[in-house]
Amino acid sequence: MVAEALGVYLRLAAATVRATTRRPAYLVVRTVAAALIVVLEVAGVALLLDRFGSVGGWRPAEVLLLFGMAFAGQGLALVFGNSLEAEKLSELVRRGTFDQVLTRPASPLGWVVASYVDTRFVGRMLAGAGAVVWAADRAGVAWTAGRAGLAVLAVTCAAAVVFGILLAAAGFTFVTVQGSEAVNVLVYGGLYLASYPLQIYGSALRFLFVWLVPVGLAIYVPALGVLGRTGPPGLPGWLAWLVAPVAGAFLAAGGLAWRAGIRHYVGTGS
Amino acid sequence: MIEVEGLRKVFRTRRGPVEAVAGIDFRVGAGEFVGYAGPNGAGKSTTVKMMSGILLPSAGRVEVCGLVPYRERKRLARRMGVVFGQRTQLWWDLPLEESFELVGHLYRIPAAERARRLRRLEEVLALGPLLEVPVRSLSLGQRMRAELAAAVLPAPQVLFLDEPTIGLDVEAKAAVRDFLRELNRTEGTTVILTTHDLDDITRLCSRLIIIDHGRLIYDGTVEALRTAYGTTRVLVVDLVEDEPLELAGAVPVRAEGRRRWFQFARDEVSAAELIARLLATNEVADLTLEEPDIEDIVRRIYRGETPG
Repeated sequence: MVAEALGVYLRLAAATVRATTRRPAYLVVRTVAAALIVVLEVAGVALLLDRFGSVGGWRPAEVLLLFGMAFAGQGLALVFGNSLEAEKLSELVRRGTFDQVLTRPASPLGWVVASYVDTRFVGRMLAGAGAVVWAADRAGVAWTAGRAGLAVLAVTCAAAVVFGILLAAAGFTFVTVQGSEAVNVLVYGGLYLASYPLQIYGSALRFLFVWLVPVGLAIYVPALGVLGRTGPPGLPGWLAWLVAPVAGAFLAAGGLAWRAGIRHYVGTGS
Repeated sequence: MIEVEGLRKVFRTRRGPVEAVAGIDFRVGAGEFVGYAGPNGAGKSTTVKMMSGILLPSAGRVEVCGLVPYRERKRLARRMGVVFGQRTQLWWDLPLEESFELVGHLYRIPAAERARRLRRLEEVLALGPLLEVPVRSLSLGQRMRAELAAAVLPAPQVLFLDEPTIGLDVEAKAAVRDFLRELNRTEGTTVILTTHDLDDITRLCSRLIIIDHGRLIYDGTVEALRTAYGTTRVLVVDLVEDEPLELAGAVPVRAEGRRRWFQFARDEVSAAELIARLLATNEVADLTLEEPDIEDIVRRIYRGETPG
């Protein structure tokens, strides 16, 4: 049953990808552009950090590792969740496309995600992963299976948190039918803040992005392990065990918000 | 097949609550072909949305295929086909045949069954040459045929159509109508047709439901509507000379050169009588008799006129 349902969404996603590959040049240009943005941004930050020498006691290469993880996580989340962004989703609602989704024998979330898979963001994800490898090399990280696992953990959990934010925002969009800038603050602001070592922030900001919107927790704590550093007071290395459950819980909360949004849309809620 | 009882929908807006559907009752039996009409904003699409599980009613009961639409949305979706004339249900950038394949998987139609149904649909709707064409390259008429094929591929028990002939040329309209008539006859599919095109309704529907301001204002056959409201006919007279003309028992409604229009009540005077009177006094070049136009009748109903 589950496998069958999953099969349908995979087919849908495959159809979406096939549709984009019908114009290969366009696809390549868009993917490369998405990757290039990451490369330029990382290069810019690298140049800037070299002038400072260190941030919160971290060498530039170590900070860039955080940047790479944030970009890779965001890219991964957007491959699947780009259609949940407020302006795109409100467009679907206003044009009546979402009504049609509701007449399909499928979960609306599965349908929307699979129908708007955007491979362009694979470019962003790969560029972010490339930045991680490059920064780790410059920081002198000796890769082990455990450290590689932590890097993957950071990227997937950051992606889960971003996806959770997008889901919650989408739930909100169903109520307002209007895009909300507040979401961009959380997605992009949170990721940007998590691209620097958390110890440089005040306790309120740190608490927000470690425990409430745990994008900071997802990136920073595994990065400590990859770099072989000990965390500041209050953020010990063993928190790495909590990253997946906390990110998972956040994602689930986002899922609940999405469902509440659908209920409101159909008129069963509120 | 469809049961609607005391159905209401109130939307909350900034300017206060708006009652889009204000208590509607009707039943549609299996295999009926029902036209659903009403002016813009009458509550047509809101009702259809409640029947298809997109919207929850504010009050009342709705049941389709024995299911409560919003509660059993996915199960109903498997037994229901939907075509919204203005929007596509197909995969825009992919060849048409891929849409059919996806629909097949989505509705879990066994491969052999899908192939068999598709062969028939391709034949009836002349889709053969279009299968490899991306949907976005189809003409509107071709696309509408494809939409219908995709909607009925899973053999739905009930089909909701919203303006399926809008923007189509005469030939494409005829193709769509022929197909729907055949589908209803051979597969017994229950069809609810929402449209502004009363031609669609008179040619296809055995029954007509009209709503306005969220209330049901007519539910019956098209014929019964004609006899209830269409009691007046119009005699069009082309005179040989441009001269004043009066006709006892009929009211002059229009004059244009030598052509005159006279309206008369069916039960007061017969056309034969009227023509006899006319020919006794004037020289006439030509005569035509206009039966009440269903479009006129419906327009009068929208204006709130009562039968007679």
